[in-house]
Amino acid sequence: MQETLSRFWQKRLPRALLLSLLMAVTIAPAVQAATGISLDRGQTFAIVLLGMTTLALSIYLFVVIFQPERF
Amino acid sequence: MNSQITTLQSEPPRSPDRKGRQVSTKGLYQRAVKQAFLKLDPRVQLRNPVMFLVWIGTIVTALVTVNPNLFGNATDKNPMVFNGLITLILLFTLLFANFAEAVAEGRGKAQADSLRATKSDSIARKLSPNGSIQEVSSTALRKGDLIKVIAGDVIPADGEVTEGLASVDESAITGESAPVLKQPGTDIASSVTGGTRILSDELVIRVTADPGKGFIDRMIALVEGAERSKTPNEIALTVLLAVLTQVFLIVIATLLPIAQYAQSPVSVAVLIALLVALIPTTIGGLLSAIGIAGMDRVAQFNVIATSGRAVEACGDISTLILDKTGTITLGNRLAEEFIPVNGHSLKELAQVALNASIFDETPEGKSIVILAEKLGASLTIDRSVAIGLEFSARTRMSGTDLPNNIEVRKGAVDAVKGFVRSRSGKIPDELDTQYESVSRLGGTPLAVCQNNDIYGVIYLKDIIKPGIKERFDQLRRMGIRTVMLTGDNRITASVIAAEAGVDDFVAEATPEDKIEVIRAEQAKGKLVAMTGDGTNDAPALAQANVGVAMNSGTQAAKEAANMVDLDSDPTKLIDIVTIGKQLLITRGALTTFSIANDIAKYFAIIPAIFAGAGIGQLNVMGLASMQSAVLSALIYNALIIPALIPLALKGVKFRPLTANQLLSRNILVYGLGGVVAPFIAIKIIDIAVTAVGLA
Repeated sequence: MQETLSRFWQKRLPRALLLSLLMAVTIAPAVQAATGISLDRGQTFAIVLLGMTTLALSIYLFVVIFQPERF
Repeated sequence: MNSQITTLQSEPPRSPDRKGRQVSTKGLYQRAVKQAFLKLDPRVQLRNPVMFLVWIGTIVTALVTVNPNLFGNATDKNPMVFNGLITLILLFTLLFANFAEAVAEGRGKAQADSLRATKSDSIARKLSPNGSIQEVSSTALRKGDLIKVIAGDVIPADGEVTEGLASVDESAITGESAPVLKQPGTDIASSVTGGTRILSDELVIRVTADPGKGFIDRMIALVEGAERSKTPNEIALTVLLAVLTQVFLIVIATLLPIAQYAQSPVSVAVLIALLVALIPTTIGGLLSAIGIAGMDRVAQFNVIATSGRAVEACGDISTLILDKTGTITLGNRLAEEFIPVNGHSLKELAQVALNASIFDETPEGKSIVILAEKLGASLTIDRSVAIGLEFSARTRMSGTDLPNNIEVRKGAVDAVKGFVRSRSGKIPDELDTQYESVSRLGGTPLAVCQNNDIYGVIYLKDIIKPGIKERFDQLRRMGIRTVMLTGDNRITASVIAAEAGVDDFVAEATPEDKIEVIRAEQAKGKLVAMTGDGTNDAPALAQANVGVAMNSGTQAAKEAANMVDLDSDPTKLIDIVTIGKQLLITRGALTTFSIANDIAKYFAIIPAIFAGAGIGQLNVMGLASMQSAVLSALIYNALIIPALIPLALKGVKFRPLTANQLLSRNILVYGLGGVVAPFIAIKIIDIAVTAVGLA
């Protein structure tokens, strides 16, 4: 467990963060287009990141549910 | 009801004559506060799914405190202050949960420190194959090396005594100040532990553990929690908590568009506050503390468990296998009466009994010698020309071989009968009559013979430990079955079993029978606990679900068991089972309380938050505003964790009830209490929050 986590922090996390930011950059314009002018670009970007964080948390919880011994 | 039973109802009793290892808890809370902050490390939080969500929530609310318009234009009153307060409360929730775990761990670390103090590098006298002595560092010793220790030395490594006889001070490990006699070739006194001190004489020891792998090293690793992994029950509970958290996460995430549609917009900070109030943070924050505290309670009892799994297994035990002598009866059986048969006089019987016991160093043997001398017998033979025969589980006899082919024996009646028959002797009818009459008194009858002539019966009196019957009654009420194992005959065993109140017994048992009894119980789906100290107990200790080895036992027994009792008191098995039950009850009670809390918090704050959507009339508690409702629920959520830390660490009050009775009680006390408490507490906090103008 300790080894798996440390490998995650060292190798996978930076890559996951970069991919998340890139995805947020891709999705944010579409969200802004859908919400009209009520949200500025920064707010849209933050909302997309929040949505992705929620999705990541949900995936994390599924991992805990199906592989609890790893935690 | 006697005092011993009263104690058992409140908490497991401790051995009255034991001081225990002194563990310093000075600075425990200061260290725990520091650890609470260090545990905010996301790598630590990631292991606890409930608290990790709170951690993420704290980060997000901190961001909306700095920029309230981060996720859209803020609609709350004083959003920066409100969000800041939420952030602060969430941070305290995390810190309180970390503090609970750190306090529990701190106790283990304090124990580890006290053990570490007994460990120090020393110079060992290593014996070379040619017999010369070489001085080496204790860290250079390896398994199989022979070392010599003399009075005043600290024994440098774990080992088995191969030569010598010496008294050893084991107080550093056991807390017991009385020295222990160590000698080779016995199951109970030949193993020595590194770090203990030799008080007199000298010993030659064969090292049985490499540096860093000794008994104290393993104990340090265990009490520090270095090898702690989640127990099956903890894993099951983690899954339950993760499922609940997942459900609430999905509900809260989808609430935002629904709230917009219902013309009752809510901010991200409020949604996070709602999520934290709804997920089971109380049990999520206290879960690991409860487990660590359970191991700590066992350790405080001077028992070292190899894992939390072992402690937890104690709570599920359904069968206890107990040795009669030392556990159910007082260890020392004493000779009460000599009963002559076959026309022999009392004095003749006393003389033969004395001759058969001159090499017998057991308390029983010594008591026979004393009684025989009291009846006029005296030692008339030269000990140097006689040969003593030790008692063994196979022969079930002991005795002496005298010059001129005279063989005197004493032992189990069947065994002595066999001995006499093998020498063409006759068995008198009255032997069986006397054997039965002694057995019916609950005593142990020993037959005495010289060559092919039976002289009579010795009545060894067994004394049942006071209060043991009541303790077995309590175990029965908890659904635990007790099985007594004894080498005695069936009649004696049945009398003792009835007097002590055990559920079943195995008479004329050999050590090998233990493993058979365990397997038979396990085949019925039962979890079995037992104690043992000898090498021949090792397979049974390994087979049992909970095997408790005595510290005075052999290395093999200690390695096969999953617990080691440092006081070498077999009665403690009953207490350990009680601690295991208490651990499970505590976890169940707090889980019930936590989930009941969530239900109450939901109904308390949802109407206040969505008052704008037309459900304001459901705000039966009359909470002042949406902001005060959220803050009150969160403050309650944070404060309940430190409020329950003492209960998590001490464990709920133990009651010897069946599983169904416990369930009903827990639902009533912690379930109903968990529903009612938040309503009252949140209302009081709401009044206070409104009064000071926080919302």
